[in-house]
Amino acid sequence: MQKSKFKIKFFLLITFFLTFPLLVSAAILYLEPSSGEYHQDDTFIVKMRIDTEGECINTVKANLSFSQNVLKAVEFSTGNSILTLWLQSPEINQNEGKISFVGGVPGGFCGALPGEPGKPNLLGKIIFKVKETTEKKEAILKFLEESQVLLNDGFGTPAKLSFRNANFEILPGKSKIQLKEWKEELEKDNVPPEPFEIKFIKDSMIFGGKWFIVFFTVDKQSGIDHYEVKEGKGDWKIAKSPYLLEDQDLKSIIKVKAVDKAGNERIVEWVPKKEMFSWWTIVIILIIFMIIVVIWKLKKKVMTPKKNKT
Amino acid sequence: MRKRILFLILFSGVGFFLTLFLIFKTAKALISTTSVSVVVSVCGNGIIENGEECDGLNLGGVTCESLGYYSGTLSCNPDCTFDTSGCQTVSPSGGGGGGYVPPSAETKVVLQGKAYPSAKITILKDGEVGAIITADSNANFKTEIKEISPGIWNFSLWAEDKEGRRSITISFSVTILEGKITTISNIFIPPTIELDKTKVVKGEDLKIFGQTAPESQISIHIESPQEIIRETKAKESGDWEDIFNTSPLDEGMHVTRARAKSPEGLESSFSSVLAFYIGEYKPGEICPRADFNNDKRTNLIDFSILLYWWGKYNPCVDVNGDGKVNLPDFSILMYWWTG
Repeated sequence: MQKSKFKIKFFLLITFFLTFPLLVSAAILYLEPSSGEYHQDDTFIVKMRIDTEGECINTVKANLSFSQNVLKAVEFSTGNSILTLWLQSPEINQNEGKISFVGGVPGGFCGALPGEPGKPNLLGKIIFKVKETTEKKEAILKFLEESQVLLNDGFGTPAKLSFRNANFEILPGKSKIQLKEWKEELEKDNVPPEPFEIKFIKDSMIFGGKWFIVFFTVDKQSGIDHYEVKEGKGDWKIAKSPYLLEDQDLKSIIKVKAVDKAGNERIVEWVPKKEMFSWWTIVIILIIFMIIVVIWKLKKKVMTPKKNKT
Repeated sequence: MRKRILFLILFSGVGFFLTLFLIFKTAKALISTTSVSVVVSVCGNGIIENGEECDGLNLGGVTCESLGYYSGTLSCNPDCTFDTSGCQTVSPSGGGGGGYVPPSAETKVVLQGKAYPSAKITILKDGEVGAIITADSNANFKTEIKEISPGIWNFSLWAEDKEGRRSITISFSVTILEGKITTISNIFIPPTIELDKTKVVKGEDLKIFGQTAPESQISIHIESPQEIIRETKAKESGDWEDIFNTSPLDEGMHVTRARAKSPEGLESSFSSVLAFYIGEYKPGEICPRADFNNDKRTNLIDFSILLYWWGKYNPCVDVNGDGKVNLPDFSILMYWWTG
């Protein structure tokens, strides 16, 4: 009996040592904190981070599931994320208990540099609110297998990937000091999104060669919530880049508003250049000029005395 | 008992070699992907780091006397250089003396390193062009980015050499602290690389060339089933070239890339990867460098075009040619990003 116990322990130990290097060689998607105790109505933040394990990556596709019976995902903040371009903005599906996004880092991310004062490996922050419960429950937040990380190698190679999930204990009743981490973060954020530019493009490859605009910015505090576009005297409309313009003559003032999660706004405006003379004004001026020249020439001809031939 | 010991030794041995193999593999990946020389230092954190003479009250044990002055009080400038205005060269006749100058509340980033002589360097802040600067004749560059919000920023750099060849884009994600000067130093932009031809007859010479910092050591890697590494040295102008005889290579596609080591010991990451064919010719990419609108830039416009074609097929936007515009194409766009 003792002999077989020893064998089991021995094999477990060997298996651990053999598989340990395999685990550390992959990029890791992990959550912070990975554990904790929370009460009803507590609002807490879970940070999603990546450890690239020395590799350079440029694309992250993350799919997570959470225990929707005890947790409500109220927000996803992209503030301070290393991902700057969002192929698919973070989406929360409360009914299914799923969160997903696809984002990219132009030029890639290779981990923290020596001397780095912080932790520049944040992908995003999920804000959870604890639902009412009458008994102690477990809340699980885990990465799904369809999550993917791609290497910055110019070939779109998938990186070896492993996950570190999170388990929280949900306790019945409210705590004496209710956690309001997200509210506190929003209150601190009084900085608008970063300045940005509106680019006007007409390309035969998209929108049937019609004029469209592209824009994007970041917010280093609570993250971008949404964009709005206003054409001329029209209303503000929730928009995404690329945005097909209604005014294809580009005669209206175009405004793009970036709004962060705390409600701070940054508005960028494009004013069409006023032409001194429109094409038809130039044509009329030319016609008038030609008429004047013709009249002047005719007058000159009439005024010039005919030479008598002698 | 002896059996158990043998068993233990055997498994430990296997585990040890497997660990060594994986460490080697990881190290190889590390070498092939990351920039090895770059360091970050924060002026204003009280710690003397790379490129700093002092930091706040921390003078590193240096005094006016140790700097060769007669006496006085040495202090630290807000940019972490010594302030010797309080040091006296002769015996003082009166009172006075220097005091501690608190660091300025300015938040800024300093980027410095090497590229190619007189190269035009584009600096991106979170993917958007933040500045365009020019390196000096020795390939050195230094620039400051002011008016920047504290937080995590992604800085990317790429350079254009005298022949108009573009380097690969290198990136760093750094936490910028409020009221501190963050210096990212020892940046070494990878060399530019070009081939004199992309279709080669087996045994024919292939000229691989480009530009880097003057007198840098260049390692040229030819990725074949067996990797071939060749060495050459850049001229004073930064130009480098290598004539490679393709006899050892099999027919088919091969790729090459290069990295540089400057005379000061800075090591760059790898250059762009270039492909060449031996034997049967294969056509090149329809839209190279993920530049879908052919404006010589890979930027937000190309990202918009990719979004438009997402999940559909377009021979230009489907860069990897797998029949669909999908995640690998997005990754390739991120790789070639120029802002």
